[in-house]
Amino acid sequence: MIQVHNLHKHFKVTRHHQGRLAGVRNLLTREYRLVKAVDNVSFTIQTGELVGYLGPNGAGKSTTIKMLTGLLVPTGGDLVVNGRIPHQSRQQYVANIGVVFGQRTTLWWDLPVIESLELLQHVYRVPADRFRQNLSEFTDLLDLKPFLHTPVRSLSLGQRMRADLCAALLHDPALLFLDEPTIGLDVVAKERIRQFIQHVNRERGTTIILTTHDLQDVEKLCERVMIIDHGRLLFDGQLNDLRERFDGRRELLVDMAEAYEDVSVEGAQVVARDGWQVTYQFSRSSVTASELISRISQRYRIRDLAVREPDIEATIRRIYEERLLET
Amino acid sequence: MRHTLTLYRRLLGVQIRSQLQYRVAFFMDLLATGLTVCLEFASLALVLQRFQHIRGWTMGEVAFLYGMVEIAFGIMDLVFSGFDPGRFGQEVRRGTFDQILLRPVNITVQVLTLDFALRRLAKITVGIGIFIVGLQGTMITWTPAKLLYLPFVLGSMVCFFGGLFVVGATITFWTVESIEVMNILTYGGSFTISYPMSIYPDWLRRFFTYIVPAIFLNYYPALYILDKPDPFNFPPIAPFLAPLVGLITLALSLAFWRFGITHYQSTGT
Repeated sequence: MIQVHNLHKHFKVTRHHQGRLAGVRNLLTREYRLVKAVDNVSFTIQTGELVGYLGPNGAGKSTTIKMLTGLLVPTGGDLVVNGRIPHQSRQQYVANIGVVFGQRTTLWWDLPVIESLELLQHVYRVPADRFRQNLSEFTDLLDLKPFLHTPVRSLSLGQRMRADLCAALLHDPALLFLDEPTIGLDVVAKERIRQFIQHVNRERGTTIILTTHDLQDVEKLCERVMIIDHGRLLFDGQLNDLRERFDGRRELLVDMAEAYEDVSVEGAQVVARDGWQVTYQFSRSSVTASELISRISQRYRIRDLAVREPDIEATIRRIYEERLLET
Repeated sequence: MRHTLTLYRRLLGVQIRSQLQYRVAFFMDLLATGLTVCLEFASLALVLQRFQHIRGWTMGEVAFLYGMVEIAFGIMDLVFSGFDPGRFGQEVRRGTFDQILLRPVNITVQVLTLDFALRRLAKITVGIGIFIVGLQGTMITWTPAKLLYLPFVLGSMVCFFGGLFVVGATITFWTVESIEVMNILTYGGSFTISYPMSIYPDWLRRFFTYIVPAIFLNYYPALYILDKPDPFNFPPIAPFLAPLVGLITLALSLAFWRFGITHYQSTGT
């Protein structure tokens, strides 16, 4: 479905003068700085995959998506999506993809939702019966009925997002790009949208690329994740592999049966003490949980204990912050 | 092609329905635009009454020139409102131009239908009024050729100013803000050709002859229709160059527009 090989995108960014007469100097002379927004990225995505594309702000996520959707022309490298080079045959290419930007709408602002959708039917030349079928399916799944006749400008963010998802799928695209589809939504709305995304991927076999800052999205939806930072692809693999490689810091919570001055134990760090409760941190690579428990129970009397797996959020935060993946 | 035309109609329909939702704002706009044009022409009429004529042009003849430009510019402003550089620049700045690139429809058609400034109808209506007043004040001997040529003259001006809008819009791919130089050409240009070109100093007239050949759009066709002598001794074909000027301007501007889009795609501004 998607083949990306050594993809590059460099931007020339104006360096602004600072200090006295900066404004005038900015007008007269320009200095440029080269920013490698996407730097030698390669990956392949098969039909039917649901891939999470992660990275901190400014990492190169949007730039990649813009190249994949044909909005940007790459500086270098090869890019074939759906058998086409996105930016070369724009009209034919975009007819077969769906794109949802969480921050913007594709719908007509002053038009009732249903009229926007009908207009899109003509834009994408969807046959009438196919359109009706899709519309009724999405209306049910996304519960669009209550606001189908409301102008888009009066919708809540969650409603607008649902309408936008419907709009992006009416023409049965083989490939769907979702750029932060849950941004700014409440828990219930997020959950509904996640279920819908999952349904589209499983039941319709639509290939989906999802960028998000909400790692629950990733945890619930994606088997495969790609992580980009500073324009370079740092990780591409199963979410589970990522966990295993980097979830080093598991935690062991121990309720001691009596008060001890020193609760240290080999292979783990004490990170918190609250009365008789001690929290140890340990990494999977140096010691197993059972090994650690037996070491502790040999030294101290234990009343209760619990092992806490780090959530993916903490893992990925560590990857960004400590740059664990950089070579 | 047929699909594109149908879509053009549909998308325009959307624009019109959207505008009519804000009825009060719409009628206020209509009123304001109409009043502005009336006041502009009234001040000219007052001056002309005082002097009876300027450089051999009677009040009626000037009204003819003035009305033609008002009508043509109004139609252009209506049809090309999506390309209005000030408006289109916002599209580029907000990134909503991306949405246009993501739809499987001709880009130019989509930009044309970004807006359809219905309030310009007031400008066109007042323009027609001025034009009719002009006709009554002049003794035109109408021939079939003249009648036939009149719509072509209007169309040429629509193409010409539309082309300038397209150029202005394209420049915003680089500058984001619309630039004042283009306004000098569009609004300054239309103002200039609303009056007999013989009233201007040589340098200005030469600019609008050889650099921006707007003199052929309105002034020369008017000389032909009003049977007035040509003070600058151009070949007799001069009154009929208007369609050429209009079409070439529009064609060049659309070529520049297409180039601008590829630039937009490679910089991602």
